[in-house]
Amino acid sequence: MKKPSKKREIEYCKVCRLHHDHGSRHKYFPRHKDLLSTFLDRFRTKIADVRFFLKNPSVLRPQEQSQNRVWCVFCDEDIVELGSSFACSKAINHFASSDHLKNIKQFLSKNGPAMDCIDDFRISEAGVAKWEKKCQSLGNEDASSFKGSCGQLSGTSNDIHNNLAFKTMDKIENVPAQLINSHHSSDVLPLQYNTNKYQISHSELPGVAHYGSYLNMDSSHLPLHTDPPSNLPGNGFGKHVIPSRSKDYPSNQDQERKQIKGSYSSPGEVGMTSISSSHSNDACGNVHSGAPPPWLDANDGNSSNVQLNQSDMSSSFQAKIPGKTRKLNPNRVGAAWAEKRKIEIEMEKRGQTMNSKVDADWLPNFGRVWQSGTRKESRKEFEKEKRKLVKTESISTESEPVKIQPYISKRARRETGENGSG
Amino acid sequence: MSSFLLKTLTKKEEIDRIIRDTIDEVLVLRFGRCTDTVCLQHDDILAKSVTDVSKFAKVALVDVDSEDVQVYVKYFDITWFPSTVFFFNAHHMKLDSGTADHTKWVGAFHIKQDFIDVVEAIYRGAMKGKMIVQCPVPPERIPKYQLLYKDV
Repeated sequence: MKKPSKKREIEYCKVCRLHHDHGSRHKYFPRHKDLLSTFLDRFRTKIADVRFFLKNPSVLRPQEQSQNRVWCVFCDEDIVELGSSFACSKAINHFASSDHLKNIKQFLSKNGPAMDCIDDFRISEAGVAKWEKKCQSLGNEDASSFKGSCGQLSGTSNDIHNNLAFKTMDKIENVPAQLINSHHSSDVLPLQYNTNKYQISHSELPGVAHYGSYLNMDSSHLPLHTDPPSNLPGNGFGKHVIPSRSKDYPSNQDQERKQIKGSYSSPGEVGMTSISSSHSNDACGNVHSGAPPPWLDANDGNSSNVQLNQSDMSSSFQAKIPGKTRKLNPNRVGAAWAEKRKIEIEMEKRGQTMNSKVDADWLPNFGRVWQSGTRKESRKEFEKEKRKLVKTESISTESEPVKIQPYISKRARRETGENGSG
Repeated sequence: MSSFLLKTLTKKEEIDRIIRDTIDEVLVLRFGRCTDTVCLQHDDILAKSVTDVSKFAKVALVDVDSEDVQVYVKYFDITWFPSTVFFFNAHHMKLDSGTADHTKWVGAFHIKQDFIDVVEAIYRGAMKGKMIVQCPVPPERIPKYQLLYKDV
């Protein structure tokens, strides 16, 4: 006799993301084991990223703080690097903490494989100590300037959208060029002024003539390209522009102001980027001139192949029609007739007229109302009736019209005959 | 009015052609007169449903007053109008609706859905190889009539 199974409470498994009442057996299920391995692998990659910063501590800029966050699956909490000066510092401290270790143990006992993989998910205290030393050494190098520039940047980065009309250029002008120069590469200055429709070039404005083309190349560097192109170094689209640009900035400020003022003078423009006409001045032509599209031009040699392919496609498509019958039930009503008819239609389409004229006496397969037996018999019966009808009609037309007389009984006829004779 | 939307056939050749050219689809042939009121109601239902069933059925009207068509009127034993005959791959499909005549649907459909259900039942049966199918319309919506054998 089977023992009735105990009613277990319904629990939620974080790994499988489902509710179950398997109790403690659940962690041995193969599906759970598979999902657990992927789950833990994912977390291992996250920890690997954090370990990278453990070995190579780097400064964390305020604008990137919100991006530098980790979700700890064991503790079910999000570690956000708010107010930390080094990348992943809070994460490193968390992974080294005793609470985290306790949660790992709990998780593994509930869900998981053996406890030998605990060290994969935590950072040792020795590692943290090393990291702190490295951070200190880093911090000493850039202590003053770093803090200063951080403060300035945080002030300007919060004002991306507003208050950066070209009036604020005055403020930026006051920022000592040294600070900006001290930034390493891969830094992006906040927007100097609003990327406004008025900053977009008109081909008429000479100073800003190349602006549009630069915009096409890399729209993310929009604010950087308000410089006249002569000021940009060779790799004008890289981020390395900034330090050199800032040097030249005060001297060119007036010129730029004039440029921008000029562009501001047309208020009724739609806010769109105009592509400079030099791009479209090719001899190739365009849609409006009716020129062939570039992909066909490139495949001139392949155009015949394309045609061939098309014919192949059409033949294969035709071949698909009998293929379609393969999918249809071969036992369906009139299947044999249907396939025969399809072939006939195809041949007619190709131009081979195969008995295109239907026999005038053709009748479809029909089971008549007052007829029992096969449908062929009903057709034969109908044809018999038809023939009889035709015969009777022909007989009736050929014979003389019959005189209709009232019925006289034999006795009456005998009596009249007797009377007549007698 | 709906005869403008549906094809009206007046010759035996046309009927033959449509029967022979409808492959793997149900062919619905309505025999009736476009002036008869019940036929008009029936045609209205057919016209409204033709797009819904277009993927697996074709609908055509046959004018019984045309002389050329009398062959079929006799062959199909049509005595009541409108009568609807169903074909699949040039084979006649029978419909058991509880009436005396299983070879056709006599009278008009009450609602569009009834017609669509009937055509669907015929298509499903035909695809399975059945030549007679059960009518899915409830008995209260099936028109009743008396079938006389040679006017007896």
